[in-house]
Amino acid sequence: SRLVQVSKNYRSVIRACMEDMHQAALSARDPALQSQYSTQVSILSAMELIWNLCEILFVEAAAAGPLMLRLLDWVRLHICDVDNMVREVLSSENPSKHELFWNVVDVFVLQGRMDEARHLLSKEASANPTSVNMYKILDDLMKKMPVPSLGNTQTLTEMELKWQHWHEECQRYLQDGTFASNSHMESICKILLGDERAILERKELMTTWYHFLVTRLLYSHPTVKPMELRLYAQMDLFLGGESSPEPLDTILMAAFEFEMHQVIKECSIALSNWWFVAHLTDLLDHCKLLQSHNLYFGSNMREFLLLEYASGLFSHHSLWQLGVDYFDHCPEYGRVYLELHIERIPLNTEQKALKVLRICEQRQMHEQVRSICKIMAMKALRNNRLGSALSWSIRAKDAAFATLISDRFLKDYCERGCFSDLDLIDNLGPSMLLSDRLTFLGKYREFHRLYGEKRFSEAAKLLLMLMTAHIAPCSFWMTLLTDALPLLEHKEVIFSAEQTYELMRCLEDLTAGKVDKQKFQQSNPTSARFQDDVETTKVEMLRLALARNLARVIVKEGTLEGS
Amino acid sequence: QVSVINTVDTSHEDMIHDAQMDYYGTRLATCSSDRSVKIFDVRNGGQILIADLRGHEGPVWQVAWAHPMYGNILASCSYDRKVIVWKEENGTWEKTYEYTGHDSSVNSVCWAPHDYGLILACGSSDGAISLLSYTGDGQWEVKKISNAHTIGCNAVSWAPAVVPGSLIEQPSGQKPNYIKRFASGGCDNLVKIWKEEDGQWKEDQKLEAHSDWVRDVAWAPSIGLPTSTIASCSQDGRVFIWTCDDASGNSWSPKLLHKFNDVVWHVSWSITANILAVSGGDNKVTLWKESVDGLWACISDVNKGQGGVSAVTEGQQNEQ
Repeated sequence: SRLVQVSKNYRSVIRACMEDMHQAALSARDPALQSQYSTQVSILSAMELIWNLCEILFVEAAAAGPLMLRLLDWVRLHICDVDNMVREVLSSENPSKHELFWNVVDVFVLQGRMDEARHLLSKEASANPTSVNMYKILDDLMKKMPVPSLGNTQTLTEMELKWQHWHEECQRYLQDGTFASNSHMESICKILLGDERAILERKELMTTWYHFLVTRLLYSHPTVKPMELRLYAQMDLFLGGESSPEPLDTILMAAFEFEMHQVIKECSIALSNWWFVAHLTDLLDHCKLLQSHNLYFGSNMREFLLLEYASGLFSHHSLWQLGVDYFDHCPEYGRVYLELHIERIPLNTEQKALKVLRICEQRQMHEQVRSICKIMAMKALRNNRLGSALSWSIRAKDAAFATLISDRFLKDYCERGCFSDLDLIDNLGPSMLLSDRLTFLGKYREFHRLYGEKRFSEAAKLLLMLMTAHIAPCSFWMTLLTDALPLLEHKEVIFSAEQTYELMRCLEDLTAGKVDKQKFQQSNPTSARFQDDVETTKVEMLRLALARNLARVIVKEGTLEGS
Repeated sequence: QVSVINTVDTSHEDMIHDAQMDYYGTRLATCSSDRSVKIFDVRNGGQILIADLRGHEGPVWQVAWAHPMYGNILASCSYDRKVIVWKEENGTWEKTYEYTGHDSSVNSVCWAPHDYGLILACGSSDGAISLLSYTGDGQWEVKKISNAHTIGCNAVSWAPAVVPGSLIEQPSGQKPNYIKRFASGGCDNLVKIWKEEDGQWKEDQKLEAHSDWVRDVAWAPSIGLPTSTIASCSQDGRVFIWTCDDASGNSWSPKLLHKFNDVVWHVSWSITANILAVSGGDNKVTLWKESVDGLWACISDVNKGQGGVSAVTEGQQNEQ
C-alpha cells in the first residue's frame, strides 16, 4: 500500500505538470507554441492514463470485486469528452427538456453512476406523469443493482448470486414489454442487461474501446478476475474495420493482458523521453513484479532504463545533479556510468567544480577527483591565478604541476621582490612536501617570516639548511646568499663560526662552477655582460661580509663568559 | 527517439572531413579540404566562431581534442604530411607544435587516455604510425612504428586506460603501470592492435575480417567490465564489432553490425559505449545499439541530404 501511495504521487505529479502545460498553452500567444503545449498536455494525459491503469492492475493488484470499482473510477476520471455535455444539461433550467437529456442519462448509466442517473430520471418522471410507472420500475432496478463492495461484507459468491437474481429480474421486465413505449428507457434496460448491441449503439458516448470494455464488464461480469480481463479486451468490436490501433491502444491492451514487459516496450517506443518508462519500471520492480517474468535481462531491465534516463540528464546544465542520484541507485553499472559522465560536466565556475568534487569525494572516485583538480589547476594557471592553481594542484596531489607553479612563484619573487598569495604559502602545512620545489617555496617564505619577526638566529639556521640540505634549487643560491647579507652585517653576530664556514663553502661551490653556471646566464640572457659585473660585485661583497662575520664570531666564541 | 538537435553552418569552402566535440560538449572543431580548422562555441544551440586556424597546406583530414587537464589543445592532421598541435593561450589559438616526420598524407590523429600523459598517435599513408609524447617545456618525443600497415594506415584509436591489477589497492602517489594499447586500421584490410612493452611498441593482434581498406577504428570506452570492444568500418561497406572477453586481450571475435551499400567512413562511440554512430557514403548517419539478445539494432538515422557525411562524433548532447 506504500507503493500504491508512491504510485499516486507519481500520478499527481503528472497531473500537476499537465495543469501547468495547460495554463501555458492557454496563455501562449504564439500559435506554434500553443500547439506544442497542447501536444504536451495530451501526451501527459495519456501517460497518466497508462500509469493509472498500471497502478490498478499491477501495483495495487486489485482483486476481483474491487477491480471493477477501480476500473470504473479509472474510466470516469479519464474519459472527459462528455463532461461538457453533462454540465450543459445539468445547468440548464429544465434538464429533462434538453435535447441531450437522454444522452447524459445514458452516459451516467454507461459509467455506472447509478445515483446520478436516477436523479436525472426523477426530473423526467416529475415532468412526464404518464411514464411514472415505467420510471418507478427502472429506478427500482437501478437502485437494487448489486455492486462489489470494498469491505468484506459479502463474498464474491454472494455477490454473484445476488447479481444473477437481479439480472433475471431485469430480463423479465424487458420481456414483459414494460418499457416498450419509451425507447430510451428500453435501451437503458438493455444496457443494464449487458446487451452488447445496445451498448455499442451508444458508441459515441463512450469514445474509446476501453470504456466499452469496462461498461460491458460492469453489466455482464462485474466480478471479473484480473487475469480474465484479457479474454474480454478486444478492440475490433468497437473500432470496427475503420481505424487501426494507435500506440496508446496497444499499450493499454498489453496492460490488460498483463504483459508488463510488453507495456514497457511499447511505451519506450511511443514516448520520446525515458522518464516514464524508467520510473514505471522502477516502481514495478519495487513491487517485485518484474522478477517473476523470465527474461534474459531479468532485473537489469530497471537498471538499464534508469541508466538511460540518468545519462540523458547529464547533458543539462543543472539537472545532472539528479542524474548522480539515479546512478547511485543502479547497483551494477551506476558507478561506472557516473565516473564517465561526471568528468564531462563543463566546469564553468569554481562553485560547480567544487560541487562536482564533493560528489566524487563522497563516492571515493579518486581518479576523477585528481583529473578535475588538474583541469582546474591548468585553467587557473592560464589565467595567471597562481595561488588558485597551486591549491588545485595540491588537491590533485600533482607533484609535477606543483613544481611548475612554485617555479613561477619564485620567478615572480625574483622579478618583483615580493610574493603573491602569501596566505596560501604560509598555510601550506604538510602539503608542502608534495614537491621539492614547493617545499622550498614554503620554507623560503618561512625564512622571510622569521626575519620579519626578528628571530634572526632561527632564520639564519633555516637559510643555511636550505642550501646544505639541497632543498633550494641551485639557481636560487645566489639569491639566498644575498639574503644572508643583512644577517651577516647585523650588529649582533648571528651566524656561528661553523655556519659561516658552511656559507663560505656554498659560495665557493657556486662560483667555482661546481654549480651549473649556465643556469645564471640562461635566466638572464639579455645584458649578460652587465649581469656578470653585478654578479662579481655581489660575490665580492659576500666574501667581505663572510670574512668580517667570521672574524667577529671567532672572537665572540673564543671569549670566556664574564670576562 | 533520436532527433537532430542542432545544425552548424561552418562556412567551410569545401568538404568537411571531420567534426569533433570537445570533452564537455561545449565546443566543436571542424576541419575541411579548404585547409582550415575552425572552432565553434556551440553552447545552448548557438554557433559562435571562436577560431579559424590556418597552417596546413592541404586538406585537413582529422581533428582531435586533448583532455582538458592539459589546457585547450587540439591536434590536426593533413594531406600535407603535417601534424599540427594547436593550443589556446590567453584566449587565442596558436600553433604550439608541428610534426613533419611522415613521408605522406597523415590520415588520423588520436590522443591517448590522459592517464598516460599527453601522447598523440598519428597514422599516415606512408604506412607508419608515429607517437608524439609531450615531455615538458615545449618538447615532444617521437616514437615511430614503421610499416605498421602496408600501403597506408587510415585510422588510430586508443584503448581506455585500465589500471592493471585494479582489484588490489594501489599505494597512492605511485604511478600505476599501465599497459598502453591502441588499435589501427589500414589499407591492408587489417585492424591491428599495438601494445607497448618495455618502452617498445609491438604488434599484439591482427584482426582480419574486412575485404577492403579499413577506414576507421574506434575503441569503445570501458564500463568496468573485463571485456574490450572495437568497432571497425571499411570500404567494403561492412561494420564489425570486435569483442574480447579475456583480460589478456588474446581472443577477439568479430560480429557483423551491418552491411551498408556504400563505403563507411567513420564510426564513433558514445561516452558510455552503448551507442555507436556510423556515417557513410550513403549520405546517412545511423545510430546503433546492442539489444538484449546481443544483436545490434539501428535506433535511428539522420539523413543529411546534402552531400556525403564523412565524419561523426558522439558528444554527450547526442545521447537523447
